[in-house]
Amino acid sequence: MRPLKGSLAAPTRGQRLRYRLKVALREPTTTIGFLAAALFAYLIVVPIISMLSDAARVQFGDERRIKQDVGELTWYYIERVFTSRVSRDLFWEPLVNTLSVAVGAIALSMLVGGTLAWLLSRTDMFGRRWFSTALIVPYMLPAWTFALAWTTLFKNRTVGGQPGWMESLGFSPPDWLSYGQLPVTIILALHYSPFVILLFGNALRRFDSQLEDSARILGASRLTVARKIIMPLMRPSLISAMVLIFAKCLGEFGVPYVLGLPVNFDVLATSLYQNIASRQVGVGAVLAGSIMLIGIITITIDAKLMKEARRFVTIGSKGSMNRLSPLGIMRLPATGFAVLMFLLSVGLPIATLFLSTIMRVPAQFNLDNFTLEYWIGTDLNTIALQTGILLSPDLWNAAWNSLRIVGVASVTSGILGLLVGYVVVRTPVKPLGTFLRQVTFLPYLVPGIAFAAAYLSLFAVPRGPIPALYGTTLILMLALIADQMPYASRAGIAAMMQLGKDPEEAAQIAGAGWFRRMTSIVIPIQKGSLTTGILLPFISGIKGLSLFVVLAVPSTDVLTTYSLRLVDYHYTQAANAVVLIIAGLAYFGALLGQKLTKTNLAQGLGN
Amino acid sequence: MPKINLRGVEKNYGANAANAVADLDLEIGDGEFMCLLGPSGCGKTTTLRMIAGLEHLTAGEIRVGPRVVDSVVEGVFVPPEKREMGLVFQSYALWPHLTIERNTDFGLRLRNMPKAEREQRVDKVMKTLGIEKYRDRYPSQLSGGQQQRVALARMLAVNPEVLLLDEPLSNLDAALRLEMRAELKRLHNEFKTTIVFVTHDQWEAMTLATTIAVMSEGQLQQVGTPNDIYDRPANRFVAQFVGNPPINIVELGNAKSEISARAGAFLGERYAELREAGSIGIRPESIRLASEAAEVPEGAFSGQAEVTGILPTGGSWIIELTRAGEKLFMTTHQSPEIEVGEAVAYWAKPKALHVFDTKGDRLEAADRLLRPGKMH
Ligand SMILES: Nc1ncnc2c1ncn2[C@@H]1O[C@H](COP(=O)(O)OP(=O)(O)O)[C@@H](O)[C@H]1O
Ligand SMILES: [Mg+2]
Repeated sequence: MRPLKGSLAAPTRGQRLRYRLKVALREPTTTIGFLAAALFAYLIVVPIISMLSDAARVQFGDERRIKQDVGELTWYYIERVFTSRVSRDLFWEPLVNTLSVAVGAIALSMLVGGTLAWLLSRTDMFGRRWFSTALIVPYMLPAWTFALAWTTLFKNRTVGGQPGWMESLGFSPPDWLSYGQLPVTIILALHYSPFVILLFGNALRRFDSQLEDSARILGASRLTVARKIIMPLMRPSLISAMVLIFAKCLGEFGVPYVLGLPVNFDVLATSLYQNIASRQVGVGAVLAGSIMLIGIITITIDAKLMKEARRFVTIGSKGSMNRLSPLGIMRLPATGFAVLMFLLSVGLPIATLFLSTIMRVPAQFNLDNFTLEYWIGTDLNTIALQTGILLSPDLWNAAWNSLRIVGVASVTSGILGLLVGYVVVRTPVKPLGTFLRQVTFLPYLVPGIAFAAAYLSLFAVPRGPIPALYGTTLILMLALIADQMPYASRAGIAAMMQLGKDPEEAAQIAGAGWFRRMTSIVIPIQKGSLTTGILLPFISGIKGLSLFVVLAVPSTDVLTTYSLRLVDYHYTQAANAVVLIIAGLAYFGALLGQKLTKTNLAQGLGN
Repeated sequence: MPKINLRGVEKNYGANAANAVADLDLEIGDGEFMCLLGPSGCGKTTTLRMIAGLEHLTAGEIRVGPRVVDSVVEGVFVPPEKREMGLVFQSYALWPHLTIERNTDFGLRLRNMPKAEREQRVDKVMKTLGIEKYRDRYPSQLSGGQQQRVALARMLAVNPEVLLLDEPLSNLDAALRLEMRAELKRLHNEFKTTIVFVTHDQWEAMTLATTIAVMSEGQLQQVGTPNDIYDRPANRFVAQFVGNPPINIVELGNAKSEISARAGAFLGERYAELREAGSIGIRPESIRLASEAAEVPEGAFSGQAEVTGILPTGGSWIIELTRAGEKLFMTTHQSPEIEVGEAVAYWAKPKALHVFDTKGDRLEAADRLLRPGKMH
């Protein structure tokens, strides 16, 4: 029974390599992985590099001004953006505006969202279950729904078109109230406070009351407990909420575009947009690169902070308790506050927008002022539209484009995400998994509008066998796929990690080859997460604007860009109607998703 | 004829990791019930997964019967689905979206077995394992023990010639474990399958195996029958790993220790050849007590000690003896007629002593002297 020792020669390096190759290439996993890696390199890395190189090379049309040939290396654009006389308008002021809006929105949403989170998760406020869904709704609506509602209410004579309600009622709101920093900040705060409610609320809910009790028993005062026990444990959730909001504000285009333009209030995203729109490719590239850089810095700081903070975060243990604080006489006022916030962030904007679409003259509440002709009328005397919006072929065209583009992109990115997850978990070639994970994460660091600029840079002209894609729906689909990959691959990896190797290996042992395992084990088990992985990006894609606004042309208009075009024409009723349609689609899509997958939408937030 | 043959098998998970399995040579005979035994992290699962083909080798080769299924030098790798083995995972790995019946007949469907024959086979296996009542349920609707049976049934249904089991009982409660152990033994007798069973539980290995392979830190320590492993541990690691309470080890040549000095003198006086020994081991059940030195049998290893602890373990007792700060543990099945604090004499027969050299390997020479009657 004693084994023979040392009976076999050690393999040579060549033999080892041959054997490893044989193992790795036996199954399609690794091949698929390499194909996916090449695809993502092309769809994600190459556009970014192309854009960054635009920033440092003389662009077509600028030869005279720069006195260099097209394609030569130059500092011109960088100097122009950061140090020239126009740098103030191009970069510094928008930067300050971006930062101050972001900081303001974060502070305000922390205050409002934090309070609501606490009320919802740790107190006996009335209707907590209902509110915990209702207060998330603002995030399901496109942010500039609020911006349009705001203009509908507060627009003054600074810009043309139909006057706002205030104006019609005889009050003339000052510019600072109608446009610019204040409304942008308030709207972004309302739009993003659901992040705080969800992230902070989850942390509060998981917080174990016994931790608090132990400290109290040892003699700590309420304040000490709050400072020394509760705050440190809540920090990670607050940090993630703050970073998320900051990153979103950085790339936010629609709200500052609608509300900032009339008073020349620019943020980085709108400054970038204007430069792209006026074909300032080089300057646009520098701006996009700067936005990207700020995004990267933010995420890096976030990762550092999180590492610090997560070390001691405990998830509720077995005996964990979640005790609700009685509000006493404050119970009604607290509920009132929640109602007010709901009305302000959902009721008022939606009602305003809806009313504006059925009223001829703003804020005239006579019965004969109401009409459905902006929806279904046939001969309107406006320049932009002859018929009611529902009868306009442009709307249906845009809707069809939206569904088609976003649908294809979401299905593709959902499947690709699962595939990435599969390869990452299963390939024996570890560096391949690491590369896929990182490359698909990359767009997360790049705000949508900068990413769109990158796509424009790469695909505006024919390159090699690939024709110029600008103006096609394909470029929109590709950009959207790439933009959604961080979420898709994160979801795919998480799903595959959770599934683990075991069920598939068991099938392998039972004799199932690769395709058989995919079709009868992996895909059926992952059906649910695949559905979520398609639906969530679909919803965020339907209401997405910043990516499309750069890449869409009138013939490839989607609903969001179409409504923005209507805003540009000052055709308020129609623009508002389209936004309502988008909001409805996003909202009911989300509900449907929730029903289908029996999950809470909360988990998909951040998309 | 050996069923499975591992030669020079080595596994390394990463460039700067230690070998998870190193230079492993192992033969598993046809129809054998082989237990891979060792502490957690010693490479048991890795070994099993390499046999199954779920993990590739860093060096070495594996043969099943006459067929090479894995060889780095020859560049051969037969994928798991072609190795015709069964593997029961520690986590069971049942397919959550398939009913118990579909879980069980998955392998048979793959083999395109005719419906009638397939159903008959599945019925038989499910009956054998007592899960036919649950055929239409999903895995999540079963208890741990039931899931475990399904995991077994799924593999037995295809009637593999080799069945690999990775700690299949570790997630079960004590009573169920006992029952499943008996069931496994019965299945082994009934199906005559070659079984490789991974466990870190020496008791499980002892009761189930026809052969035990003890591993530590990726190295094979000893292969033998359960009795071999227990009676003639090849080194100190095996001696200490197998046995509960663990074997008493007395280091020799420790001038400060009374027990050590005694043991040294005992070996030295009678068996001059063994003066180079590094340590001796005495199993707790080999130690006996005598109320006074005169009662100690002639030729036994003995000494004086104080009783410092008596732990009843239900039907037997563990007694802690202390001499000059050093402890010896013994077990007895008779109610000890002594009290804590009493002075006693302890003794053990020479043939109960395990002698190890200074590297910790068993001194074969000692066995010839101390156990003259036994053949080896
Ligand atoms: N997939 C893996 N990647 C890296 N190291 C691993 C992997 N699986 C096991 N190891 C390491 O190999 C060693 C042996 O592990 P394993 O075979 O699982 O031990 P056992 O089953 O005996 O507990 C351990 O040190 C473990 O950390
Ligand atoms: Mg193991």
